[in-house]
Amino acid sequence: MTLFSLKMNRLTLGLGIALAFSIAPMAHAEDGEYGVLMKTLANPFWGAMSKGVEDGAKEAGIKYFLQAAENDQAAEPQLNLCNTMLERKPVAMITAAINSTNLLPCLKTAQDAGIKVVDLDGNLDPAVLDKEGIKITFRIGSDNVAAGGQAAEYLASKLGKDAKGPVLVIEGLSGNVTGQKRVQGFEAKLKELAPGLEVVASLPGDWDRGKAASITNDILTRNPDLVAIFAANDGMALGAVEAAYAAGKGEQVTIIGVDGNSDAVKSIKDGRLNASVAQLPYLVGKQAVENVKKSLAGEEVPASIAVPTLVLTKDLLEAGTEPMLKYVK
Amino acid sequence: MTSETAKLSFWANAQRNSVERLHIRLESFVVLIVLCAAMALLSPFFLSLSNFLNILLATSTIGVLAIAATFVIGAGGLDLSLGSVMGLSGVAGAYVAVNLGAPSVLGLAACVVAGGAAGYINGQLVTRAFVPAFIVTLGMLGLARGLALVISDGRVIYGLPSMMVYVGQGRPLGVPMPVIIFLVTAIVAHCVLAYSKFGRHTLALGDSEGAARAAGIRVDWHRRVLYTLSGALAGLAGMLVMARIKSGDPTAGLNYELTAITAAIIGGTNLFGGRGSILGTMIGALIMGVLQNGLTLLAVQSYYQQMAIGAVLILAVFIDQYQVRKESRV
Repeated sequence: MTLFSLKMNRLTLGLGIALAFSIAPMAHAEDGEYGVLMKTLANPFWGAMSKGVEDGAKEAGIKYFLQAAENDQAAEPQLNLCNTMLERKPVAMITAAINSTNLLPCLKTAQDAGIKVVDLDGNLDPAVLDKEGIKITFRIGSDNVAAGGQAAEYLASKLGKDAKGPVLVIEGLSGNVTGQKRVQGFEAKLKELAPGLEVVASLPGDWDRGKAASITNDILTRNPDLVAIFAANDGMALGAVEAAYAAGKGEQVTIIGVDGNSDAVKSIKDGRLNASVAQLPYLVGKQAVENVKKSLAGEEVPASIAVPTLVLTKDLLEAGTEPMLKYVK
Repeated sequence: MTSETAKLSFWANAQRNSVERLHIRLESFVVLIVLCAAMALLSPFFLSLSNFLNILLATSTIGVLAIAATFVIGAGGLDLSLGSVMGLSGVAGAYVAVNLGAPSVLGLAACVVAGGAAGYINGQLVTRAFVPAFIVTLGMLGLARGLALVISDGRVIYGLPSMMVYVGQGRPLGVPMPVIIFLVTAIVAHCVLAYSKFGRHTLALGDSEGAARAAGIRVDWHRRVLYTLSGALAGLAGMLVMARIKSGDPTAGLNYELTAITAAIIGGTNLFGGRGSILGTMIGALIMGVLQNGLTLLAVQSYYQQMAIGAVLILAVFIDQYQVRKESRV
C-alpha cells in the first residue's frame, strides 16, 4: 500500500511533466503581438477571415495569437478566453464578439491597460460602447447598406431602368441589424435606380431557408407577376429559388442573395440563383491587421472601415477574370 | 534506507489524512500542483495575482454547477439538465428585470427560483413517477432549453440594470463578485457534504439505497431536496453568467452539464454514488480551469484544449480505478 502510493504519485508526476513538455515547443510569449479573438473557426466565413489575418500578419511581419470559442453561441467561454488573452499583454485585441455585450468587461480592462481594441465584423453596438465608456480604435467589416445597394444596382441593370413590376424582399431575423441594413440599402437604391420596381412585401425570413421558401410561395400566389426577390442572405435566397422553380416561375423571377457562400456559388453556376453579393472575409481579416499596424505606428485610421463586397453572377464566375474572385470563400 | 521508509510513511500518512480529514484524494491535488508548476515554467504570464483571479473567475460558473453535480451524483443520481436550467434561469432573470421592469433584486431572485423550480420538478418525477433520473433530467434538458428560447423569442435579452450586473462584474477589494459567490458557496457546500447529517445521508444513499432506507433515512424526500438544490445551484450559476455577459442568453450553458460532471469526476466523485467531496470537485474544476488558462496563455488553439480536458478526465478515472483495484487486491 505504502509502496504503491509512492509509485502512483510518481506516475501522476511523470504524466504531468510529460504533458508539460509536450506542449512546451508550441508557443512562447512575444513582444508587441496582437491578440485575435474570433467567434468560432468551425465555419467557412470565420475560417477565411482567420486565413486573411494569417496572411496579413505574415506580410506585415507581425506576431499574433488567435483564439476562438467552440461555437458561435459560447458567449461566456468567449469572455473567459478574452480575459486570459489579456494576461499575455498584447498591444492590440482584434475581437469578433459573439453578442453586443458579452465581451464588454474584457474590452474595458483592455482599454484601461492601454491595449487597442478593434471590432472585427461590426458586432459591437456603438451606443452600448459609448454608455460603457469604451472607445474602440476602429470597426471593420462589410458595408451591409452598400451590399444591399449593389443588389439593387444589379437588378436595375438586368431588368432595365424602366422595368416595372412587383418585388419581394425577404428580411433576416427581425431586429437583427445586419439584415436591416442590407434591406435598407436595397430598397433605397432600387427607388433611386428603377422606381418602376415596387417592393410589394418585405417579410422576416429569420435567416431560414424553409421559411423563405414558404414566404415566396405565398407571395407568388398573391402576385403571380412577381419579377424579382431580394433575400438578406444566401440561405434564404436559395429557399426562394426552390419555391420559384417549384411554382414554374424560376425563369420569370430574378433572385438575389447576400454572402457568396459555396452553396450560392454552385447554384449561380447551375443557372438557378441569379446573383449573390459576396462578402470577402479574407480581406476583412487581412485589412484588420494592416490597419492596426498603421494605427500603432501613429497613422490616422478611419473609425469605420468598409471592406468591399462583390456581386457574383454566372458571367462573372465563368469568365474568372475578376481579381477579387480569389477572395471568395 | 530509513529515510526512504520515513518518506514512504509520510506519503501514506499524508494520503490517509487528506482522505479522512478533508475528504479529497491526494492524487488530484498533486496533479493540480504539477500542472500549475508546468504552466508557470512554460509561460511567464501564468504566475500573477491577476491571472490567479482570472482562473477563479473563469471557473466560477462551472464550479457552482459542479457542486450541484457532486451532491446529485454522490447520492447515486444524475442531473443532465444543469446547463439548460442554467440558461433558462438567466433568461428568466433578464425577462423579469427587463421585460417586466421588476427591481434588480427580484430579477436576481428569479434566476434561483426558476432553477429551483426546474430541479423540484426533476425530483418529483424521479421519486414519485419512478422515471429514471437519466431520462427525467435528459427530458428537462430539452424542456428548459426550449422554454428559455420561447421566453426570449430565441433572442438575447439586453438592457440589464447596472445593479444586476454588479454580481457578475463588480470587484469589491479587487476580487470579482462571481469568485466570492463561488468560494462562499463551495465552503458551505463542503461543510454540508462532509460534516453534516444531511451530507452523510447523501453519500449513504449513493452507497446503497436499500441500506439507507433500512437505516431510516427518508430516501425519497432526500432525493427531492437534492434535485431541487441542484436546480437552485444551476440557477445561481445562470445568474452569474447573465450578469457577467450583461444579457439573458437563451443558449447559455450549452453542454455545461458535461463539463460540470467532468469536474466532479476528476475531483474523485464516484459516478455511481457513495463517494464525493466538494473540495475534491473544486480541485477537479481548477485542474480544468488551469489547463484551459495555461493553454490559452501558450496560444494553443481551443480545439486542443478540449482534447486535453478529455484526456485528463480519462487519466483521472484511470488513476482512481487503478488505486481501487490495487486496494481490493491487498
